[in-house]
Amino acid sequence: MKLHKVGRRYGLRGPWVLRDVDLEVPRGALLRFEGTNGSGKSTLLRLCAGIDAPSTGRVTGRPRTAYVPERFPAALPFTALEYLSHLGRVHGLRGAEPARRATEWLERFGAAGHARTPLAELSKGTSQKVAVAQALLAEPELLVLDEAWTGLDRTARGTLDRAVAERVTAGGTVVFVDHDPARLAGAADACYRVVDAGLRPQETATRAAGATTGPCVTVVAQGPPGADPPAGLPGAPTTAPGPDGTTRLTVPAAHSDTLLHALLTARPPWHIHAVTPEEARPDRTAPRPESP
Amino acid sequence: MIPLLRYHFALLVGSHRWLPPTILYAAYVAIGIRAGDPVLDGFGYVAAPLLPVAAWLVRAGVTAEPPAARACTAAAAGPGRAHLAAVSTAALAATALGALGTAFTALVSDPHSADHRVAVPMGPATLAGTFTALCCVLLGTAVGALANRPVVRSPGRAIPTAALAALLLLVAAGSPANAAVSGLVTGSPRGTVTVPWLPLGIAAMITAAAVAGACALSSRRT
Repeated sequence: MKLHKVGRRYGLRGPWVLRDVDLEVPRGALLRFEGTNGSGKSTLLRLCAGIDAPSTGRVTGRPRTAYVPERFPAALPFTALEYLSHLGRVHGLRGAEPARRATEWLERFGAAGHARTPLAELSKGTSQKVAVAQALLAEPELLVLDEAWTGLDRTARGTLDRAVAERVTAGGTVVFVDHDPARLAGAADACYRVVDAGLRPQETATRAAGATTGPCVTVVAQGPPGADPPAGLPGAPTTAPGPDGTTRLTVPAAHSDTLLHALLTARPPWHIHAVTPEEARPDRTAPRPESP
Repeated sequence: MIPLLRYHFALLVGSHRWLPPTILYAAYVAIGIRAGDPVLDGFGYVAAPLLPVAAWLVRAGVTAEPPAARACTAAAAGPGRAHLAAVSTAALAATALGALGTAFTALVSDPHSADHRVAVPMGPATLAGTFTALCCVLLGTAVGALANRPVVRSPGRAIPTAALAALLLLVAAGSPANAAVSGLVTGSPRGTVTVPWLPLGIAAMITAAAVAGACALSSRRT
């Protein structure tokens, strides 16, 4: 997807919220947008999702899209399951598939007990889980998350992190805004800051530098003797030789499940020795000794 | 498009916002149509109120979703298609009401002229009645599309605008709805049936343009 000289303002004489924005969103990328309140992040996401049309310029090549708003106070006359089934069909699913996937995603987010609750009676957090499930059940090629984590409990935030990693691993593109700077830290491929109606690329702590912030997971795995880890592993792990011919692979925590899945299903499969969560990525520089 | 129509139909039914216009229309038909009345007058009588009823149902349809839910649907289906589905669902609901009203009139009315002397052929008369009802539904849909979001967003302006536009389209000479209804009513004394081909054609074109315009605006004025 490409944004060509995209500008947006509300009303014929309103101020420009965005102006002359050029952006290429590659397939399979995870993009983060930052900015202060009212800087135009949400407008940018709505343009990416195709909900808004740009006032100037154009957006080309947008694939099948799903969007999650920040709040989902949906006073709709449906139960959670009915709503999700409807949206699944709108996304192009057929037959029993929408209801099946809706149930599955509600279960994953711990909201299976609310499948038959009317949307109007759901708590804020559970409504947000429905909003997230609505987008994920369609397995969209482009997933647009506007502070979708807001209102979710800690477990559900983790589930959403992993769902995002799965989407990216499956070749989908994800763009997101979140107020938590540690959100998917280390997993994002690029970060842009919305300033003065324009986009500024932000330095992401790149993996090449080996110094990302945020929680990581180290997987100690063993492949066939002498084999290198398979190419294109999810989360682009940093690898280091481990003891006894094993390999230590370190990824951002959100990618741990997708990495394990890739290793276990590789041909030939890799054997997993250990999985260890770590608070920060172990970089190759020795820890600075404590000063007395 | 079918899943979108299903979704909007379920929304319209579940929100119960179809009830007030439907009850009013049913009451209007029940009061006005009596067994043995001249059929052409009856067709005109049941067709005219479909114009405001259709506009009302379109308002119910396009305002059924809260903005957050509308954004989710728009991302999945495109804002224009989502809006088209909401308008079409309402238009189909109004068409169903019109079909019931017209069928009821055809069943209970007297197939004669106003003075009960000249026989009115029921085939052409029913066709004329159906086309007149359709003409009113279409123009009501056009009013609903142009007098609601995304064109007119504040309810304080949308509702009076729609009411006034519906009234004008019913009474103003030159309006296709007025032409179709008066064609029936003025033909009744002598039992002549005028099938409103031209008004229906013009109404269809006006409505297509109005709905297309509203759908095109739906991604620009949010």
